[in-house]
Amino acid sequence: MKLQLCSYSGYKIHPGHGSTLVRNDGKTFVFLNSKCRRSHLMKRSPREVTWTVLYRRKHRKGQEEESSKKRTRRHQKFQRAIVGASLTDILAKRNMKPEVRKAQREQAIRALKEKNRAAKAAKKPATTAAPKLEKGKSAMQKVAKPMPKPKMAKTGGHGGRR
Amino acid sequence: MTRVRVVDNSEIGKAAMLDGKPPKIIHIYSKIKYGVTGDKVLVTVKGEMKKAIIVGCHQEQKAFIPKFDSNNAVLVDENGSPLGTRILAPIPTFLRKKLKEMSRSKGADYTKLLSIATRYV
Repeated sequence: MKLQLCSYSGYKIHPGHGSTLVRNDGKTFVFLNSKCRRSHLMKRSPREVTWTVLYRRKHRKGQEEESSKKRTRRHQKFQRAIVGASLTDILAKRNMKPEVRKAQREQAIRALKEKNRAAKAAKKPATTAAPKLEKGKSAMQKVAKPMPKPKMAKTGGHGGRR
Repeated sequence: MTRVRVVDNSEIGKAAMLDGKPPKIIHIYSKIKYGVTGDKVLVTVKGEMKKAIIVGCHQEQKAFIPKFDSNNAVLVDENGSPLGTRILAPIPTFLRKKLKEMSRSKGADYTKLLSIATRYV
């Protein structure tokens, strides 16, 4: 005698208990007792009847809930290459030392200043442009500095995230 | 006088069911008034008289005999060999014991129909 499960309630049926019903389409139902049998014949869905196993499973009653909560997935941070910057480039920029970065920044500023000075000198004649140049220089300095900064800061600080 | 549902694939049985004139029981070969799962029965099919074995009842039977939604029967000849080659509906395993008791060596062997059954309940 094998231990069957009631097809309505989900309980175990020990030998010597229960009844069977065979439908004309060949489907067999095993019932633990007349309560299950009558509920089935009344066409009550076991998923809506509170004391059955199917209901408890559907509404996740009992211990299953605890075990599933503990197993929340952790998202793995994965660095990917973007168009315009390969993976090695991104990693190189991220892992750059602050001194190196500062030196790069200063270099860029100096280069920009030189470029601006040269441009201004080329445009206007030397004598008239002399006092204006100085003003222009200070203004350019102020403009030049913040320009490269945000560029570098962006890649430096947010290199890890997409 | 019950009308019975033929559950094997014998030609007469199939034709009768298709026609809408299922076999009618006219005599039960038992001492009890009513036929029960496993009883041999005399049946009229398509104007002929044949023997059949009741394979499932809608009425509640003794304990551990499953209840079916229709009264099923398998057509059988005098010696107990089934007229069809396959039984499509599930058959109660209780019949194994009952048909063996009914069978007589050198006489009718009713357990042959168990060999053509496809599913047991």
